Amino acid sequence: MADERILYDYYIIYEKTDNAKYISHLDFVRAYNRTMRRVGLPVAFSEGFNPHPLLSFALPLSVGYTSGCELLELRLAEEVAEEDIRDRLNAAAPRGIRILSVRRGKSRMKNLRYALYTVTPESMPESVDGFMDMDKIIIDKKTKSGVKDTDVRPDIREIRLLPGKIEMVLSAGSDRNLKPDVVMKAMNKYIPGYDSGDCEYHRTAIYDGEMKTIE
Amino acid sequence: MSTVNIDKILMRVQKPTRYSGGELNSVIKNPADVKIRYAFAFPDTYEVGMSHLGMKILYHCLNLRPDTWCERVFAPWVDMEEEMRKEHIPLFSVESRTPVREFDFLGVTLQYEMCYTNVLNMLDLAGIPLLSRDRGEDDPFVNAGGPCAYNPEPLAEIFDFFTMGEGEEVIGELMDAYNEWKAEGGKRMDYLKKIAKIEGIYVPCLYDVEYNEDGTLRSMTPNCPEAKPRVRKRIVENLDEIVYPDKFIVPFMDIVHDRASLEVFRGCIRGCRFCQAGMIYRPIREKSPERLLDDAKKLLASTGYEEISLSSLSTSDYTRFEELADKLLDITEKEKVGLSLPSLRVDNFGLSLMERVQKVRKSGLTFAPEAGSQRMRDVINKNVTEEDLMRSVDLAFAGGWLTVKLYFMIGLPYEEDGDIAGIARLAEKVAERYYASDKTNKRRAPSVNISVAGFVPKPFTPFQWAAQNDMDTLRRKQLLLKDEIHNRHVKYSYHQSDISVLEGVFARGDRRLNKVLVRAFELGCRLDGWSECFDMDRWRRAFADCGVDMAFYTRERSYDELFPWDFVDIGVTKDFMMKENERAKAAVTTPHCRLKCSGCGAASLCAGGRCSVYTEESSLRRIKELKENG
Repeated sequence: MADERILYDYYIIYEKTDNAKYISHLDFVRAYNRTMRRVGLPVAFSEGFNPHPLLSFALPLSVGYTSGCELLELRLAEEVAEEDIRDRLNAAAPRGIRILSVRRGKSRMKNLRYALYTVTPESMPESVDGFMDMDKIIIDKKTKSGVKDTDVRPDIREIRLLPGKIEMVLSAGSDRNLKPDVVMKAMNKYIPGYDSGDCEYHRTAIYDGEMKTIE
Repeated sequence: MSTVNIDKILMRVQKPTRYSGGELNSVIKNPADVKIRYAFAFPDTYEVGMSHLGMKILYHCLNLRPDTWCERVFAPWVDMEEEMRKEHIPLFSVESRTPVREFDFLGVTLQYEMCYTNVLNMLDLAGIPLLSRDRGEDDPFVNAGGPCAYNPEPLAEIFDFFTMGEGEEVIGELMDAYNEWKAEGGKRMDYLKKIAKIEGIYVPCLYDVEYNEDGTLRSMTPNCPEAKPRVRKRIVENLDEIVYPDKFIVPFMDIVHDRASLEVFRGCIRGCRFCQAGMIYRPIREKSPERLLDDAKKLLASTGYEEISLSSLSTSDYTRFEELADKLLDITEKEKVGLSLPSLRVDNFGLSLMERVQKVRKSGLTFAPEAGSQRMRDVINKNVTEEDLMRSVDLAFAGGWLTVKLYFMIGLPYEEDGDIAGIARLAEKVAERYYASDKTNKRRAPSVNISVAGFVPKPFTPFQWAAQNDMDTLRRKQLLLKDEIHNRHVKYSYHQSDISVLEGVFARGDRRLNKVLVRAFELGCRLDGWSECFDMDRWRRAFADCGVDMAFYTRERSYDELFPWDFVDIGVTKDFMMKENERAKAAVTTPHCRLKCSGCGAASLCAGGRCSVYTEESSLRRIKELKENG
């Protein structure tokens, strides 16, 4: 049955830093729903047996990662001013969650193809040229059907070495997705003598197929 | 005061939000603004402890005081403990990550016996000496409360003091006494002697115990003038006038009871003879619906919770239950919030209400007949008949419910094998009702889940004199019941029998068990409530190493025996419990408090020695309601 209610679409960009990085994606969804209730925003619920708030996330973030470019879409049952939504959510959000922008309409999250991550390792590799020249980069990767040896080379678009930081552009989305901790594991395995130590992971941007920022 | 850095290890453990803090409504204060730092510990994992109402209440009470900052502490899971020990990170508070050793108080709530080794493990992780006598002037005062504190003796050498009864008022008195003591510049022992004079406080080191040759207790005597020969539990008389949290901390991770809860009353009118809670929380005291609705509105607004539940020992015994439920449903339906009603009784369960409550999702319904035969239900004074159960089950099945869960106990006093077979018969009858009804959909199948626990005799119950079944007997009875079940719609699950026996040993234990606990901890026992961590062989070794016989504690006891917990005055008298045990032997029931006062003794705790059940006001109110409802 088609949903014939008049609903209002919004999309939100927010950052997840500090202590909030330990909140898993599912826990964040629950906390977010409760925040919406507390601040009294007129959330639209799905119709049916077990109503749930209508919202969708562009790309779940792993536990322990920080991000400056999280994107979610939500639907409200009434129209509310964008700044009003932003201010009410920011006043109620847990430490480490900050709403950067709220806009009306649909986002371009459907076009998501790549994500840019900034990794801060304890020690930097001298070069990644040899690593990037490999035909195949086989690493055991968690998939839906268990841990499998996978060639991750096709999903690494670019790796740049900056002072003390590594930037990497990786496949992102429901179709193909690669996480930077898997890449770091591969670098530790294949770059001779390299030991990264513990790393910090930050999602810096999300892109479409033409590498245009989705925001 | 210092803080610990746990950023690195949090990346290496499961469920880091158990430890990371920063939850909504957690209280952060400036350490410079407070005089007292109180660490409130729940000796189990975060998701268990955060579900506990008592902790929320006392956290709120303490943090209302401008001079006190109360923070939470939980037992780390195995992986976190390993990382903490490897990195030399001491046990810390969730809010400020301050080492627990630097606090002024470490208060522990004791909800079940199987958490005792967690207390020791937490003290060890905190770097606080395990035994009270080894603690120095700089260590926190380590204290405990909660239901297990009513028999404090198995932990008497570990805790500096215990609080008996409800904490809302006495915890403030303890803080005031602390400020006075600080101003006086006293020593550690001065504070303990000072608070020994407060009603409800027990300081174990101020008492000497002697034993008879047969190992039973000969005497327990105060060794200083401050200690009282009998310690009387504390109660709060008027629940409408006490503080109740208007905010709950909302965790990020999924905890056991992740919802707002309203405490509708304390105590219980029923008097089931196995039930410790039914005795120690007497007398019954109710909150008014007006206050509860106010609590509900505040909690929903401050938490954003999508579920609210009513909390008490027997929710449908609340005098103005229908009125409360109706008004609450008006709120919850509007806000799309679920209402859950645990602890409903079989004999006063109404379907129209349940349908309104569970309009959206039909989860299973749970009933607790506790015993399989009518004779046995009379022995335990459950006051529920087979007809009551069948009527409720018929209503449930006709209303579209498919799953019914039934709770039972085995190993009860005066039990015969026929009573155990009776559990199977009763469960099968319940399943058959589904097919006998013309209101059920026969293309679907019902499911009757029976959950069977081994009975543990508890102090302060009419069965405190009873023998507990040993492991072999319990196992035999578990299998006997398994063989008796012939209906494929009946699903049977039972508890580990060795855990029940250990629980029983500590429930009715004495001071000599302190060394067994310490030994068990040294041998690696902890998280004993978790089957993946529990190891009975280690426990057996601990008892053997200390030369302590478990059977001594599970034996039948005589009426003239002095119990280690007899010095605690819970209001309900030993004499009443003896009479109830005699009635149990004869399978004679006792009416509940609203039908007839049986003179249990709890009324002596109230002003004027009168229980609120029988005050003129409540009776008049009730009569007025009955008239209004025709």
